[in-house]
Amino acid sequence: MSTGAVSGRFAVAGLGVTAQGVRLGRPARDLRRESLELALADAGLTRRDIDGYIGTSSEAFDDIRHLGLAPGFAWTMQSGGATAIWSLLNAIGAILTGQATTVVCVYGAAPTGGRMARADGSRGSFGSFAYGYPRLYGMIGAGMTHALHARRHMHRYGTTSQHLGAVAVAQRAHAAVRPGTIGYGAPITLEEHQASRLVVDPFRLLDCCRDTDGGVAVIVTSVERARDLRSAPAVVLGVGTGHNMRNWWTGEVYDLHDDIAPAAATAFGQAGIDVDDVDVAALYDPFTISVIMQLEAYGFCPEGEGGPFVAAGGTRLDGAIPTNTGGGQLSGFYATGFTAVVEGLRQVRGEGGATQVPDAQVALVSGHGGNGGVQNTWAHATMLLGVDR
Amino acid sequence: MSGPRRVLRPADVAPDDLDAPFWEACREQRFLLHVCSACGRAYWPASTCIDHGSVRMRWQTGSGRGEVHTHTVVHHAYDPGLADRIPYAIAVVRLDEGPFFHTDIVGCDPAEVAVGMRVHVVWDHLDDETVIPRFAPDPTGVPDDG
Repeated sequence: MSTGAVSGRFAVAGLGVTAQGVRLGRPARDLRRESLELALADAGLTRRDIDGYIGTSSEAFDDIRHLGLAPGFAWTMQSGGATAIWSLLNAIGAILTGQATTVVCVYGAAPTGGRMARADGSRGSFGSFAYGYPRLYGMIGAGMTHALHARRHMHRYGTTSQHLGAVAVAQRAHAAVRPGTIGYGAPITLEEHQASRLVVDPFRLLDCCRDTDGGVAVIVTSVERARDLRSAPAVVLGVGTGHNMRNWWTGEVYDLHDDIAPAAATAFGQAGIDVDDVDVAALYDPFTISVIMQLEAYGFCPEGEGGPFVAAGGTRLDGAIPTNTGGGQLSGFYATGFTAVVEGLRQVRGEGGATQVPDAQVALVSGHGGNGGVQNTWAHATMLLGVDR
Repeated sequence: MSGPRRVLRPADVAPDDLDAPFWEACREQRFLLHVCSACGRAYWPASTCIDHGSVRMRWQTGSGRGEVHTHTVVHHAYDPGLADRIPYAIAVVRLDEGPFFHTDIVGCDPAEVAVGMRVHVVWDHLDDETVIPRFAPDPTGVPDDG
């Protein structure tokens, strides 16, 4: 294990995941309250043990009163789908600087009820954010911005709709045997993918995730403290970040899926391992192209070969890198960046059920978010999780 | 425009007045870029030069020409008011001076839009006060410094 401020010194001691699904009929803050209580029970902690709170929903400013917490600080973060990993990173930073010992990162949203308030005060789905002058021309939502990257990938490498469909089919196969996912019991075929309606070319309906309601809470503390608690620690081996504005300035922004290279270099550098040591990947996947481009960027397959890699079964349980074993956002549930965080944690905790990767020691988790209405997303975060040794 | 769709105007989507010179010039059918006079690098929208800061940024008339860098065809009406427009083509145009510009592509079937297609600005008079740029296939097909 490498030395450093982060690697091996901090752990997730508690994980709380509520029901995740469409039209649960529960307010978002009630989902956050339940996720907190589930995480506390998982860790064997009480509310009074929580001395730091990081909210990750834009409506979370007043959360701690409803949650009955009395932390030393409460702040909220928002960088779209990168927020989940960033919240854990900031929890570590708070502990490192003496602000707290036990920080809870809380997510909870109920977008399918139609009442979700967004950061700008408007209401609507996650998929219909729009920004700035491109709105004049009917440019709305993350589907369009991600389609711009998919089109470049198809142009440069010959990636096809069937390749995109292979991602959807592989992840649905995982979800189909994982209770509590939107794809549970409902496998799909490539023919069904091809027959689903076009939404934003090249994305068909089955290339796109859908909003779900749900809450997630993650309790971060030192490894030493985590070892004294109820559940086995999931150790944070490394965390890294990158920002796509760098690639905007060079004109490569649409050829890359976020600025993954520095995020990966930082995280793997802290962990002292390389991509061959990763047993399972939980990649942020609002659209099928995101999986293909991230597999390439992280080095699980050569550049431009992500489509054929997935089509050949590379992301299945028996493939080279089992990926999005909980179905991901596409077929599991959409808890923004917490979808991947939850699955990474479940895998290193051995709680992956029918899609548990045998002897999973290291999980790679990614998040990206904040599309700004002009390209897929600005922020990227990488986190490596491991079993306590 | 048909139907109940409210036509958006630049003032409806602009966060502030920093891009106002661009939209005002559109009324005179001039396509401006924000250019650093220290190095000549062109930007859109209003920007700060990554090498020279804000002091020498100037609005200058650009060519209004470029090529389709990437695109999509929208088949789903994300806003009910857009239902009468689908399918429509959205593109990122790489302007000949360098910046990206997001637009729809008019003047051809959306299915004909392709990476590398030469395009040029056309002016859409939304009303007596408001003109916005859109892009259409360029019949001359070659870069033109204008």
